[in-house]
Amino acid sequence: MLTETQLKRYTRNILLPNVGAAGQEKLLQSRVLVVGSGGLGSPAAYYLAAAGVGHIGLVDSDKVDLSNLQRQILHRTEDIGRPKVASGAEKLRALNSDTEVIAVEKLITGENADDVVRSYDVIVDCTDNFSVRYLLNDACISQQKPMIFGGVLSFSGQLMTIMPGEGPCLRCLFREDPSPDASSCAEVGILGAVPGVIGALQSTEVIKYLLGLGNLLMGRLLTYDALTAAFFEVTLERDPSCPSCAQL
Amino acid sequence: MLFKLCAKLTVGKFLRGDSMKLEVRVFSGLEKYLPGITFGQAFEIDVPEGTTGRGLLVKLAIPESQVFSMLANGRHFSFDQKFHPGDRVALFPPVGGG
Repeated sequence: MLTETQLKRYTRNILLPNVGAAGQEKLLQSRVLVVGSGGLGSPAAYYLAAAGVGHIGLVDSDKVDLSNLQRQILHRTEDIGRPKVASGAEKLRALNSDTEVIAVEKLITGENADDVVRSYDVIVDCTDNFSVRYLLNDACISQQKPMIFGGVLSFSGQLMTIMPGEGPCLRCLFREDPSPDASSCAEVGILGAVPGVIGALQSTEVIKYLLGLGNLLMGRLLTYDALTAAFFEVTLERDPSCPSCAQL
Repeated sequence: MLFKLCAKLTVGKFLRGDSMKLEVRVFSGLEKYLPGITFGQAFEIDVPEGTTGRGLLVKLAIPESQVFSMLANGRHFSFDQKFHPGDRVALFPPVGGG
């Protein structure tokens, strides 16, 4: 049952078709894991907390660096040197005390990935490397958890919603580790608002999933090009030879 | 006799230079290798029958190391696989920042 304060706070959510007070109560009972509290994780976690998601797990092993602040809007100048999860959790709690924020300062590994994702309803992949993404992908497949993949580079970004056993997974699409010679954000840069766009879309997918709204980006890789201000969709199929999800 | 016939067909095919069309789109910075082509813009290309993923990259002059994922008709496609006429190809670099 929503309180008077909550009814007012979430009025614009509650007014939405097929959300209502029941949808808001569902959000308040939901558990979302945001892995990475940088360029993607900042807007994703902010919008999820603002929407009234009741439990947010924030995972990151990094500390805030001066070079992060151009895009990682959870962190401020005075946070430099602090663990990102401590800095991020503080901002989210300040935004909405309805949201319980669990700060998990650790690197995702093959040993801990299953445990880290286990207690959550949906996982948001806001990491900055494919090694961790593959671990998350496999953990989400083994535990049948939806995962919202996002990635950015330079002026572009992409995202896809992975529903294990129903649509393609990350390995269906990206089979091998990237070549060490391939471009990275550290080399070619990243426009700060681009992860803002993609992270906001990731949070939208989470809320759609939690409330059963609309059509998810399942089997659809949505790509964004800031330079032409255009979105393109690439339709994808599950790969029957996928090393991660073919057995499902 | 059969061997000769097959050889003749193969040679004839080679001399005619049979080609096929592919529809290609490149994303997230790979367009810099293709002047005049923009992010996500579909374009047709004629390639010899039997062209592989790696062969397409050579023809497009896109370094193999920059291509993280190649899809054909929405499915993962290895650099060693051969295309079929009309395949819809998408090429991506690693868009892995976060």
